[in-house]
Amino acid sequence: MLDSLLQATIIVNILASTVRIATPLLLGAMGELVTERSGVMNLGIEGTMLMSSFIAFLVAFETNSIILAVGAGMLTGALMSLIMAFMASTMKVDQTVTGLSLNLLASGISLFWYRVAFKGTSTESIPTIQTMGSVKIPILGDIPYLGEIFFNQGLLTYLAFIMVPVIAFFLYRTYTGLAIRSLGENPRAVDMKGINVTRLQYLSVIFGGVMSGLAGAFITIGTTVRFLPEISAGRGWLALVIVIAGNWRAGRILLAALLFAFMDAFQLQLQGIGIQIPFQILLAAPYVLAIVVLMGSRARSLAPRNLGIPYIREEG
Amino acid sequence: MELNNDPVTAHKKEETYLLEAVQLTKRFPMVLANDRVDFNVRRGEIHCLLGENGAGKTTLAECLYGFYKPEEGDIRFNGRCVNLSSPNDAIHLGIGMVHQHFVLVEPLSVIENIVMGTDHKGVLLDFAATEKKLDSLCLLYDVKIDLNAKIWQLSVGEQQWVEILKALYTGVKLLILDEPTAVLTPPEAERLFSVLQRMKDEGLSIIFITHRLKEVMQVSDRVTVLQKGRKVATVNTKDVTTEELAYMMVGRKVVFQVNKDEIKRGDPILQLTNLTAKSDMGLEALHGVNLVIHQSEILSVAGVAGNGQKELFEALIGVRKATAGDVIIAGKNIVNNSPRKIANEGISHIPDDRIGAGLIADFSVEENLILGLEENPPYRKGLFLDKSHIKKYAEESIAQYDIVTPSMKQRTSYLSGGNLQKVILARELRQSLKVLIANQPSRGLDVGVIEYVHKQLLEMRRNGIGILLISEDLDEIFTLSDRIAVMFRGKILKIFEAREANIESIGLLMAGITDKETQ
Amino acid sequence: MSPVDKLKFEKRDDISPLGRTAAIVVALIAAMLVSAILIKLANASPLEAFINLFKGAFGNKRAILETLTKSTPLILTGLATVIAFRGKIWSIGQEGQFFLGAIGGYWAYRIFEGLPAAALVPIVILGAFLVGAFGGMLAGLLKAYFNVDVIISTVMGNYIIDYFLSFMLSGSGPWREPGSYYQQTAEITENAYYPLLFANARIHMGFLIAIACSMIVYLILNHTPFGYQLRAFGSNPRAAKFKGINTNKIIILTMFISGGLAGLAGTGELFGVQYRLRPDLSPGYGYTGIIVAMLAGLNPIGVIPAAILFGALINGSAQMRIATGVPTALTFAIQAIVLLSLLSAQVLTRFRVRRVDHA
Repeated sequence: MLDSLLQATIIVNILASTVRIATPLLLGAMGELVTERSGVMNLGIEGTMLMSSFIAFLVAFETNSIILAVGAGMLTGALMSLIMAFMASTMKVDQTVTGLSLNLLASGISLFWYRVAFKGTSTESIPTIQTMGSVKIPILGDIPYLGEIFFNQGLLTYLAFIMVPVIAFFLYRTYTGLAIRSLGENPRAVDMKGINVTRLQYLSVIFGGVMSGLAGAFITIGTTVRFLPEISAGRGWLALVIVIAGNWRAGRILLAALLFAFMDAFQLQLQGIGIQIPFQILLAAPYVLAIVVLMGSRARSLAPRNLGIPYIREEG
Repeated sequence: MELNNDPVTAHKKEETYLLEAVQLTKRFPMVLANDRVDFNVRRGEIHCLLGENGAGKTTLAECLYGFYKPEEGDIRFNGRCVNLSSPNDAIHLGIGMVHQHFVLVEPLSVIENIVMGTDHKGVLLDFAATEKKLDSLCLLYDVKIDLNAKIWQLSVGEQQWVEILKALYTGVKLLILDEPTAVLTPPEAERLFSVLQRMKDEGLSIIFITHRLKEVMQVSDRVTVLQKGRKVATVNTKDVTTEELAYMMVGRKVVFQVNKDEIKRGDPILQLTNLTAKSDMGLEALHGVNLVIHQSEILSVAGVAGNGQKELFEALIGVRKATAGDVIIAGKNIVNNSPRKIANEGISHIPDDRIGAGLIADFSVEENLILGLEENPPYRKGLFLDKSHIKKYAEESIAQYDIVTPSMKQRTSYLSGGNLQKVILARELRQSLKVLIANQPSRGLDVGVIEYVHKQLLEMRRNGIGILLISEDLDEIFTLSDRIAVMFRGKILKIFEAREANIESIGLLMAGITDKETQ
Repeated sequence: MSPVDKLKFEKRDDISPLGRTAAIVVALIAAMLVSAILIKLANASPLEAFINLFKGAFGNKRAILETLTKSTPLILTGLATVIAFRGKIWSIGQEGQFFLGAIGGYWAYRIFEGLPAAALVPIVILGAFLVGAFGGMLAGLLKAYFNVDVIISTVMGNYIIDYFLSFMLSGSGPWREPGSYYQQTAEITENAYYPLLFANARIHMGFLIAIACSMIVYLILNHTPFGYQLRAFGSNPRAAKFKGINTNKIIILTMFISGGLAGLAGTGELFGVQYRLRPDLSPGYGYTGIIVAMLAGLNPIGVIPAAILFGALINGSAQMRIATGVPTALTFAIQAIVLLSLLSAQVLTRFRVRRVDHA
């Protein structure tokens, strides 16, 4: 078994899959990073991804346009996170319960809507769509091995990876980024400077939502030809774990996302080889890994200090 | 220059004040914080805003800073009515504020804190220009600070300088300081006063909020006294005495000394040996503290916040791990025992953070009175709580401590600070008490309640209990103590008998200045 | 005492009982309105759909009993949520612990199969409770000693348990019914059945267990030191710690009880209704339990009517589908809408008080 694994093509396969599988995780995590830096913990990204997956699928099915589908996914993400922003920042309701509610809402509505929209489809004719193909980058894509892994992926994948340095730069080298980082640590300090705390939180949360929307769109139109209930399969939760495991720093988040993606890619390959381990154990592996990773990161020293706490101007 | 004491008629004489509040009224859901207050500041003056806790000083300042919008009244800047809808507006007019509780972003650096939210060109952060400006400001006022240090690395005094620099950086004309000396050692406070004089010479105006009469006399040109939301008077400082100011502040003659009887100190009851602990950031905060508390004694720990008092308090009550040392009561070493075990040995505490660490805001008064006692008979009978017994105990406590509440079922979130402290006292001063650790027991309370608290502490002392008083309030320390220990950077520098101590010697030690003869 | 000497803290004001009832009513009305829209989108008449929903749930004695049967697991998962959420321990593990309970009960059944019913049923219940409780306790331990958020560990746990069950019921798995095409165990023998309460109806002993649990949880929360400590911890963990409450013990014990309650739900469905262990034993009872608990205002007695409401929804939706063609998945959508409406309604009742101080 080991020698069959060590064949170059297999390794390249695994690594290329890793990069691909990391896409929604990275998009979700980087978006949530910005959201959490502003002090809001959006537990609803799982639901946001699910809903965006569905809407993107629906739009792709109806219009055959990838661009519209991606746009619809982004819009869905924005709308769902708008609810979160409203509840968390304006109404200052408990963020945990709001996030959970969004997840349940997405599960319920996506399932219902799917059944209604595709009533009467039998198992033979499950609706499918055309997925986004990969785009090979000229020159770089021709490098042996590396080209296949990194430069022959979908556009959303390239976007996901580019966003890592872009968001890091934004947070640490711009005035707005500085304000957002301050917001998550001490919203009163930002308020006292005359910055509109609510507006900044809305922007951060909605940005996170759009990223989750892209992640969700990627799940259907990027890779899978059909929609299944609960297709997001915990990726939103993994994105949350990745932010924690990455200790709220972009570089570490990238590593954590790749780690989880690698685990998933690896177990897929093992399934393909036909290994003796029951496949359920392999499927469960990422979730176990998540718990193990969190056990190890008990430092949590860089979590924004005001994360999850609604900011209320004190009276008197 | 002839000064007219009545600001209203002075205004009629066409003097334009730099900043003026006219009949300013600010209401909150539960409280009328400012009631038709008239207040003004001239150019180049230091004007004190004096009043007890809760008199409305901070609220008034927040209105002048644009953080709150007053319900009624005007704010005028250089004679023109202005509408401050946010601190941004105030900052642009040249008004800056240093709050009592700093609004600094601890994980970020000094320069990041100063630059955040200020006017800027472009999208990208540009520290070079900021650094230059800050360097020249530091030079002007002789302040030394590392611009790239993270806030959490700085001492409290240094953090205050960052707050002041924040205001100076935006080109402030009027600086509002809210209780700035609360966190300073006496030498640091003197330093601040001299800098304020410098600022005044440079043409700045300063509003200095305080409840300490000595400071008012020392530093201000004029003083405005607030009482229960109303302005009592505005006077020239040189025309008034401390007694008169105290009377205006409180509305009645204030007795400055609570009578403390001479009691012979008892046997040692609580012994701390080499107590060592780390801070939240992992740095050494307590460096081998040695203290002995006797029965019938009040031993105070004097010191400015941030010198290990928090860690000392938390290590003693079992909430923070001591990395070395012993705490012995009646022959038993209880260091690093659980909080419950320590409490059951007869050690009670009054926390400095009433609402955060002493009470459950959502619980009723009745339920709060048994916090920590819920597992003990008679409040518990077998597997269940004995509700009738709890009710009786609550009734007794409310009567005995004169706790003002519509009913014992009332949620404590509706009680005033003074009554909250009484709930805590009722709970902590129960029988079988051997040692009481009181951490900032008068913080945030008005004079009447402070008197009550002090009376209770002295009563406990009379009953043979040993009291460790941790306080930043030197007046309180001098009022109550039998002995005074001065704490600096996690060490006890010296322990005085109360009659041997004076504010100068204590003040120097609080700032870490030891002479060769002391340890 | 100065009237100006007021508290500073960030807790929001309490909602009066009137406000809370108003919030529930508003939430339900909003849910109905939104559902009406969804039904229209499904090309059916909302009126007809609601009528059939009601008929299916309460139309006759049999329907009512079936509604109560459906509400049984919801009461238990609701209680599991109540006890955890009162301590602000955000466990989402009810679904997974439901299956752990079913697994535990089935495991006990397999070991003690031969025993007479009077002995077997209690053993099964005990096994279910313990395995569910164990799962909950694990999450508690992870939080207490490794600071792993309960939300995340329980969500991950749900997936892991799901895969585990899938393995046990897979073609080569130890519990698969020999020769069966479906992922399921063999039918359990009659001596393990939960006794039925009435002839001709599916309502079983589990319903009584659920009611009993509701009263027990009420007693625990309001009349025991542990309940007091749990509520204190949920409201102000710092003060709880300072006053000597063992917060680790609270977290672990609470999750133990919560997991056990959810486990009872699972085994009730297995031994009271379905008689087989299958992956679809729960159509999301765990998640619905969260909504039930929220609707009940985290009150253990209030869980009963809330659970009956949702049980009615689930029961009636079958009739609704038959009569109008609206997919039963509507129930999930309605559940979620109720929750969001409830949150919004609660917020609105506080709206007036908060707005006053904004500049």
